[in-house]
Amino acid sequence: MIRFLIKGLLRDRSRSLFPVLMVSAGAFLTVFLYSFMKGTMDDLVNSNAKFDTGHVKIMTRAYEQLADQMPNDLALLGVDSLLERLRSSEKNMVWTPRIRFGGLLDIPDERGETRAQGPVMGLGVDLFSPESQEVDILNLQNALVEGKLPQKNNEILISEEFAKKLGVKMGETATLIGSTMDGAMAIHNFKVSGTVRFGITAMDRGAIIADIKDVQYALDMPDGAGEIVGYSENMLYDDDTMLPLTQRFNDNFLRDDDEFSPLMLSLSQQNELGEYLDLVDVFGGLIVLIFVVVMSIVLWNSGLINGLRRYGEIGVRLAMGEPKGALYRWMIYESMITGFIGSTLGTVLGLAISYYLQYTGIDFAAVLQKSTMLISNVIRARVTGWSYVIGFFPGLIASVVGTMFAGIGIYRRQTSQLFKELEV
Amino acid sequence: MIRLVFYILLASCSLLYAKEPSGKTILEEVDANYIAENRKLISTMVIKGRRSTRTLQAESWIQGADKAFTEYLSPAREKGSKMLKLEDELWIYSPSTDRTIKIAGHMLRRSVMGSDLSYEDYMEDPKLSNIYDSELTGEENINGRDCYVLELKAKKEDIAYYRRKLWVDKERYLPLKEELFAKAGKLLKRLTVNEVFRVDGRWYPKRMVFKDVLKSGAGTEFIIDSIEFDVPIPEYVFSKASLRK
Amino acid sequence: MLAFKLAYQNIKGAGLRTWLNVAVLSLAYVLIIWHQGIFLGMLKQGSQAVIEDEVAGGQYWHKNYDPFDPLSYDQSHGTIPDKLAGLIQDKKATPILITQAAIYPEGRIQTVLLRGIEPGQTILGIPSSSLDKGEDVLPILIGKRMAKSISLGIGDYLTIRWRDVHGTFDAVEGKIVEIMNTKVPTIDKGQLWVPLKELQKMVSLKDEATIIVVERNIQGQGDVSDWKFKNQNFLLSDINQVVRSKRISASILYVVLLFLAMLAIFDTQVLSIFKRRKEIGTLIALGMTRLQVITLFTLEGAMHGILAIVVATVYGVPWIYYFSKTGMKLPGATEDYGFALAGRLYPSYSVGLVLGTVLIVMATVTIVSFLPARKISKLKPTEALKGKIS
Repeated sequence: MIRFLIKGLLRDRSRSLFPVLMVSAGAFLTVFLYSFMKGTMDDLVNSNAKFDTGHVKIMTRAYEQLADQMPNDLALLGVDSLLERLRSSEKNMVWTPRIRFGGLLDIPDERGETRAQGPVMGLGVDLFSPESQEVDILNLQNALVEGKLPQKNNEILISEEFAKKLGVKMGETATLIGSTMDGAMAIHNFKVSGTVRFGITAMDRGAIIADIKDVQYALDMPDGAGEIVGYSENMLYDDDTMLPLTQRFNDNFLRDDDEFSPLMLSLSQQNELGEYLDLVDVFGGLIVLIFVVVMSIVLWNSGLINGLRRYGEIGVRLAMGEPKGALYRWMIYESMITGFIGSTLGTVLGLAISYYLQYTGIDFAAVLQKSTMLISNVIRARVTGWSYVIGFFPGLIASVVGTMFAGIGIYRRQTSQLFKELEV
Repeated sequence: MIRLVFYILLASCSLLYAKEPSGKTILEEVDANYIAENRKLISTMVIKGRRSTRTLQAESWIQGADKAFTEYLSPAREKGSKMLKLEDELWIYSPSTDRTIKIAGHMLRRSVMGSDLSYEDYMEDPKLSNIYDSELTGEENINGRDCYVLELKAKKEDIAYYRRKLWVDKERYLPLKEELFAKAGKLLKRLTVNEVFRVDGRWYPKRMVFKDVLKSGAGTEFIIDSIEFDVPIPEYVFSKASLRK
Repeated sequence: MLAFKLAYQNIKGAGLRTWLNVAVLSLAYVLIIWHQGIFLGMLKQGSQAVIEDEVAGGQYWHKNYDPFDPLSYDQSHGTIPDKLAGLIQDKKATPILITQAAIYPEGRIQTVLLRGIEPGQTILGIPSSSLDKGEDVLPILIGKRMAKSISLGIGDYLTIRWRDVHGTFDAVEGKIVEIMNTKVPTIDKGQLWVPLKELQKMVSLKDEATIIVVERNIQGQGDVSDWKFKNQNFLLSDINQVVRSKRISASILYVVLLFLAMLAIFDTQVLSIFKRRKEIGTLIALGMTRLQVITLFTLEGAMHGILAIVVATVYGVPWIYYFSKTGMKLPGATEDYGFALAGRLYPSYSVGLVLGTVLIVMATVTIVSFLPARKISKLKPTEALKGKIS
């Protein structure tokens, strides 16, 4: 029977080709939309993750309570050995130390006195270690406006706007006046190697990026860091792996009696991002759900209309003596096959494009606004388990249901009337 | 008989005149004891922090109430750092960066080397009688020494600490305790002298503790290791050029 | 003209099928617009709360005020000009004085900003009325993040030290009278809210302010003497940046939905032509030019589109309007939100979106109707009459 069906389908292309095309188009769009929305949702959270929270962040308990004050006197010490332990026990994560600090940036004249000065926020990150990914994570290369990335010790990047305001040029000295870990005044010379666009007004007003070893020296924080951030290797946040990781770490390291023992927080536990993640999940889900529903309606409709169109043929077969029940079932099987083939084709195509976007992405930098550290101009998608099946909901189920509805006409109409439908 | 009456009269007169000195006079005596034409001293500052204790040593040259030059001798990280006070301007020099930075405005509110003393505190006019009206309000015994209790109120509007209380050693005119208050009367900082010594006829604090009362912690301890008065100090010392030498 | 009439007759004649298609197409219309609204609304979610609690309709800044430069706070205050005082009297604006201060929670010095606000103000959504308790001590309102970071609660006392306009230190013990639940960290972390008159007294700046916040939907504000007007766009520029950067994503979403609409109509058209090939053959045989026949079928498709617009307007407009005004309740975490309004998502629509969508979908539908119709030009009438399609 199946063979007969398939032969029939293969021979009459108008009967099979169009429905199959419709269904694959529908399934493809659905799979693509779903994976694309997932990628967009990821992106919304990503800038926060890359710049601020990491997927997980480690700070001392005392530091965490006052984190926005950047209390470096409460920073983590013994960072090198902690990093070593993390890198060996949690291998599928990227771990990197950072120091946030504030102060004044003072540009000297020939006599070593102040030529220009402005308040500054700073970020010390690992720029020079061979295995460090900070340049990519912070999108530094793309966000560079003038000059080059730091190549040597004591070279820094400063925000473009700030450089203009201070009138400082590439290669010039900029002195940081900050606070050491002990609260004493820290004065340290840096050389400006390049300017960047941050993408947040507060930082574009006055911020610098320096190598963490230089900052450790300048602020008298040997082997210290305000925070250690960790990222999953594929740079995609997943509460299901990060929360247990956080729990494991805290069980091992956090001590109730030591306010300087390290505390780990996941992304969802910081800055109320947990709520935002939920929000984004729900609305992303809603968008996809409504799309699936409407797509299902579209394909149901086309299934229905296909069925209606064939009343003439159905009339003939009924007249020839085919039992109604068998005929009905036959129609359904046929639509199941077209539905299945269509959905599969559509899903395969959808997955192909989604995977491409997931791993390579499309770079819209040329079309969009200028790149900043925060804003990445690459469009990505994310494929999950659902991507594989979601196309089948509208593709298979809806079109079959549509045909089922159409088939009901068989039971209700008179054979002669069906005959007549032959001529419109 | 008349001689007796005369002597009694004289005695009562002197008693009459030998009344308690005024707050103003006491304060002026305090200033006179403390401020010499110039001083050269070596001091140690012990800063007790939440996680560690730091000890710094410095050498200072001070002229009157207007000029002061300080060079840090230890530890290694601070060695060679210098501060120059010229009336109401403050400059610091950092040898590692060869930078001369003026500490003005908000920077004055930062603490000196992480201690409880701010740059502003460091910069204030040491001659209290210039800034404050003084009233004698009582007597108290501090560590076995009889002290006048003076209540000071700011003469002008732009003085950081509106009110102060001084416990001045009656004999030596050296304040053994000082409290600094906010305008509404809340205690902000306290200076306690734990040990004194005498140099060239002046009584000076040997060890004292300066504490920001609102902050927790043990405060900052100052120790004067050695002090010389009225030594010749060449004028070029009090110039920005000397910072870079 | 004939083509129109004929097209219309044909559509009417098809009865149920037509209406099914029209319904589906109208759904596609509404969906496209609704989707975009939700997506944009989600991106702008952050700005909702900020408008509620911090920005309102815009702010007048004293000329020296620079929120990114804490060193500017000392000089950024001034007397309120008459014009703005008028607004304040009419309850259309409220002044705020901002000063730096230090607090010592658990014995550790922390710099904060004191914000003096009128307890009775209604411009911002923060519970400033709690500052009107008429107690002897200075009442303080703080946000829940601030409360957490200094480990203090309602009824606890807090020592505040600040400097008055002359630089003299002053200190006072304040009492925390209220902890507010706000989604906006910038008015929470490191901020202490106190009654305006009290703060003015504390720093000896009678009748002065640093910023003046105007009510929402106020029109026509511009700089007034020393006070610069910053509108909502300026104050929300960071959030707007994020929304702009997602333009491409929103566009891709739009295109996908457009394809959905196309699918809805494509299928119908193709099958319609296929089914009616005899009729087409007849028409051509009777003398209609091929062009006329193509026009007929294209018009039929387009009419589906127009009918769909009509239907979509009937149920879509009230639906969308309702949503943009009341928003959608955010599930799950809503209990955490102190403000009912901040816990809602407001879809973001524009007339441009609606009109644009109508035009684009119409154009798409017409084109998609036209393409299969082109095949007709290759028909041989004799074959068509017989029911064959070549």
